[in-house]
Amino acid sequence: MKTRKIGALASAALLMLGVAACGSSSKEKGSESSGASSGSKTLVGAGSTLVAPLITGDWIPEYQEKAKVAVTYGPIGSGGGIAQITARTVDFGASDAPLTEDEFKEAKGVVQIPWALAATDVAYNVEGVGNELKLTGPLLAEIYEGKITTWNDSKIAALNPGVKLPAEKITPVYRSDGSGDTFAFTNFLSHVSPQWASKIGHSTTVSFPVGIGGKGNSGVGADITNTKGSIGYIAIAYVLANKFDYALVENAAKKFPVPGIPSIEAAAKTLKSIPANNEATIVDPPASAPEAYPISTFTYALVPLKSPKADLLKPFLKWAVTTGQEFGPKLDFAPLPPEIVAADEATIGKIES
Amino acid sequence: MRRGLTDRIGDPTLRSLTTLASLAAVALLVLIVYKVFDQAGEAFSHFGLSFVWESEWNPVTKQFGAADFLYGTAVTTFAAILIAAPMSIAIALFLTELAPRQIRRPVGVLVELLAAIPSVVLGLWGIIVLSPVLLKTIEPALKSALGWIPLFSGEASPVGLLPAILILTIMAVPIISAVTREVFETVPGDLKEGALALGATRWEMVKMVVLPYSRTGIVGATILGLGRALGEAIAVTMVIGHTEHISANLFGPADTAASRIASEYLGATSSLQISSLAYLAAILLVLALVVNMIARLIVRRAHPKIPTTPGILR
Repeated sequence: MKTRKIGALASAALLMLGVAACGSSSKEKGSESSGASSGSKTLVGAGSTLVAPLITGDWIPEYQEKAKVAVTYGPIGSGGGIAQITARTVDFGASDAPLTEDEFKEAKGVVQIPWALAATDVAYNVEGVGNELKLTGPLLAEIYEGKITTWNDSKIAALNPGVKLPAEKITPVYRSDGSGDTFAFTNFLSHVSPQWASKIGHSTTVSFPVGIGGKGNSGVGADITNTKGSIGYIAIAYVLANKFDYALVENAAKKFPVPGIPSIEAAAKTLKSIPANNEATIVDPPASAPEAYPISTFTYALVPLKSPKADLLKPFLKWAVTTGQEFGPKLDFAPLPPEIVAADEATIGKIES
Repeated sequence: MRRGLTDRIGDPTLRSLTTLASLAAVALLVLIVYKVFDQAGEAFSHFGLSFVWESEWNPVTKQFGAADFLYGTAVTTFAAILIAAPMSIAIALFLTELAPRQIRRPVGVLVELLAAIPSVVLGLWGIIVLSPVLLKTIEPALKSALGWIPLFSGEASPVGLLPAILILTIMAVPIISAVTREVFETVPGDLKEGALALGATRWEMVKMVVLPYSRTGIVGATILGLGRALGEAIAVTMVIGHTEHISANLFGPADTAASRIASEYLGATSSLQISSLAYLAAILLVLALVVNMIARLIVRRAHPKIPTTPGILR
């Protein structure tokens, strides 16, 4: 009897100790980052899934080899990345959407650094139409608003003389999970359609009035494959790998560039000035760039200006926005334009311990 | 007799380790519930209880309401149970009363093995196999036969309520049938033999002895299946099509609370959105705990010897 009591007491005490330990350690993390490990050469990051293949597939092994700094990255999603860097539980966060003013305020002294450039394609599954159907931004907005409902709509036909369009229902497909692709696509639609901007807006998830959602690029891909008459936006690498038919989307110069690294770079070249918060937007680039693809987006690293790991963080970020860009194209990320790299380097210079 | 050192410390060590493990599990449940409610705090103070019946869900305008997802959860769960319950009762009857002895065990094990299929695999099967069949064959057929009912009047679509319902049915069947089978096995042989001796046919025996004797157990088993269907996220996310707009159409896209949390949490960009997802999680958590407790109570009261988790999950 006695032993039972003692055992129970002991284990209860142990448990309380354990809980107390967990509680206090998570609080400490909030205030002084992963301070305990600041002696070892490691960086911890978390956030965006869009940029994850580039970070975990190429940057981390290359950088570890070169600089002998271990970097770990958790692709927990943009929202998670923002939350974690705000709480300072990681050394850097990553987000596909630039921070809002409120988020900047809440994150107290976090800056954003555009560090990868990705594009989104419009793919479709319509029999007998062939590849490279021509579409415009306002038309895409009307399709995703449910105003244009069949493929043989006169507006689509007018853009594609000679193409035999079927009288098939259009099924718009979108991403059900929050994603940088949704951000890029809806940002583009908001730019070209005032109606879209006021009614639906842009974000990593928006409330689409019509259509069906697929989880991840592969979910959207499966929906497009399964559904005749479907149209969907999807990461460019995915379109090429699955040999989907893709649309040529009209840019401001009234041209229809083929989506790809050259046309994304052409869009990036139109960037003239970068605002103080580094929020760079190249959707719907100006008419002065006839070769520019209109739907692409920057994805951001989020770092605190005061970081106990500044001496490790700064070289890593600098490497990522310069040498690191060489690994982008094989994953269909376009290299950053020099203006962005310059702005990034200036911002990185401000980080201190 | 002198005891060795290991003998003397063995018992207390065993006791404290096992107690610790059990207390940790209890503490974990409490902490999880606390954390979910804690996270939901911001959304709760923002939207209050109206969150439950508001149907606008828009991350851009930061308006969040759960009505559409709770509706989706209710429809998919109840429809799945509506199909799964009779099917499971039939399976259980077959396995306890009708099947030849040699095949009872293998068939029973196979049915229970359905519960062992990881839900993500079922979801994948849903996308690759089920969706195209529904889209090309079943939904058009249902529409032409029953199109006058609003439920079956919509356009055929590869993702939507129907595939989600069918996937949930597949998940619920092994649970309901396993528990129901055990309930049927508790029916005293004397009663059954008595009925047969009085000249009842097999069907009359089932109708007049087995089913009445097992009624409460069947209800409990069904509610257990309901609990399973209620919380399933990943397989549903893969086939339901994610929309914020309620429609009576069974073919069209919808969303459930669990699936919304699974699909949106990673991409959530505002703390209010994350908090709203936690609010949704809190509602789901309470529902699931209540449903499970009710089911356990019912089964335990009617048939105290029956474990309430089926074989494979035991």
